[in-house]
Amino acid sequence: MKRWVPVGLLLLAVALSLYPLEATGYGVRVMLQLFMWIALAQSWNLISGLTGYVSFGHVVFFGTGAYASSLLIVKAGLPWPLACLGGGVAGALLALVIGWPCLRLRGPYFAIAMLGLNEVMRVIVSYYEGLTGGGNGLSLPTLDASLAIYYAMGLVAAGVTAVTYAILTSRFGLRLMTIREDEVAAEAMGIDTLRYKLYALMLSAIGPGIVGGLSARDQGYIEPISVFPLIMTITMIVMALFGGKGTIWGPVLGATVLFFFQEAVWARFVYLHQLLFGAIIVAVVLLMPRGILGVLQQKYNLPRTI
Amino acid sequence: MAPILEVDGAVKRFGGVAAVNGVSLALEPGRIYGLIGPNGSGKTTLFNCITGVDHLDEGRIRFKGVPIDRLKPHRIFHLGVGRTFQVIRVFPELTALENLLVVTTTGYAEARARARELLARVKLDRLADEFAGNLSYGQQKLVEFVRVLMTDPELILLDEPAAGVNRTLLNELLDAVRRLRDQGKTVLLVEHDMKVVMGLCETVFVLDHGEKLAEGAPGVIQADERVIEAYFGR
Repeated sequence: MKRWVPVGLLLLAVALSLYPLEATGYGVRVMLQLFMWIALAQSWNLISGLTGYVSFGHVVFFGTGAYASSLLIVKAGLPWPLACLGGGVAGALLALVIGWPCLRLRGPYFAIAMLGLNEVMRVIVSYYEGLTGGGNGLSLPTLDASLAIYYAMGLVAAGVTAVTYAILTSRFGLRLMTIREDEVAAEAMGIDTLRYKLYALMLSAIGPGIVGGLSARDQGYIEPISVFPLIMTITMIVMALFGGKGTIWGPVLGATVLFFFQEAVWARFVYLHQLLFGAIIVAVVLLMPRGILGVLQQKYNLPRTI
Repeated sequence: MAPILEVDGAVKRFGGVAAVNGVSLALEPGRIYGLIGPNGSGKTTLFNCITGVDHLDEGRIRFKGVPIDRLKPHRIFHLGVGRTFQVIRVFPELTALENLLVVTTTGYAEARARARELLARVKLDRLADEFAGNLSYGQQKLVEFVRVLMTDPELILLDEPAAGVNRTLLNELLDAVRRLRDQGKTVLLVEHDMKVVMGLCETVFVLDHGEKLAEGAPGVIQADERVIEAYFGR
């Protein structure tokens, strides 16, 4: 069983890299978005699934990355791949600045602080019109790079998942989990919980930062309301919860299932799909708060590296 | 011998209540101390202040001469002060082995070997890969006890080690505490079971209403009028 997992992953990677050769432009764009959601849900899992600190404003790192990369492209003339990495750095820096005070807050207070941060960032971006274009948004130079962005998104999704695997199988990861399990005991057992939470939040901000940049480059135009929407935070949380937080494949599974579900429903029922999405949230929270893999994990005593 | 821990005029208030009110005590290395007193007398608060979970309003606490009353718990732990909790605080969704592994600063292989050895010492090696939350109450208590020993602390604070533990397990636990003392460790324990306190401790401190009421050998303490009054009333 263990041996065919890497083989299967390799085959999947080959298939996904060959996919654009056969697919329509629409197909490539759909997959590109799926990769984006996997990267986002997995990043949220890194902080919230492992340490139990629920980030209710994780899209702030996506939006900050989008603006940072776009500015690096428009104002500094950087090539877009480099600018997108800059978006990741911007995300991590914001996480450092905001995590230092906010990660001292416990439970719901941290969640609310993150929610507030997202609103604050949106207002800041709208306010500094000279730099960001304010509410008018920011246009990027025309460029058709869908194919390259497809691969870049795929790499980020795979990268964040690989990082999650590395963390979950290390003592660093175990220590992050002690914060979720019992923070007072973790502190008393010599774990510098604030520092660990800060590392986790910074790591979890890099993926959304890069993905924000890639998404901005792909769209060619960003505005405050399009890159800081609360619904994106909620969507990534639901994806991670649905698949199973604190596992490796849970967020991937959750993102994949819910993303295709949304695509299928959205095309047919433009208004109804939000209602259905809401119903899924309620059902997941009530019926299986641990998510699909969480339930299987408990039932069959599976390792958390599932 | 120079004391390993000195508490000097410790005061800790919660609102208008002084949970610890001017307590001073000194622990010499290589001995077992008991801390007793009625419910609400400030025993656990004093523990929390020594380990950095709470911070003193007044007074000083020194460990090996170094002031620790402003330090965070993880710093105090790494100086060599370990503790267990009154209510069990294992990490339930980590295995017994992982509960121990997270504690050290040594290399992974070394930590693993030490964790296995400690679990074997309390006969839990068989259950090393079981989630701590699935173990029985007594077993969780043992996991918590050996978890403290991972870094070989010089001062060990045990908050009600005997509560809810059966006789056999308790005797093993008490033997383990005596062995620690024989290795030169210092132990301070809060305990309600007087048989345990009297049989194990060399010096006993009695707290009442946040103040130190008495200090001395178990036999002397047991006969002390004030102690009897604090426990049973006049």
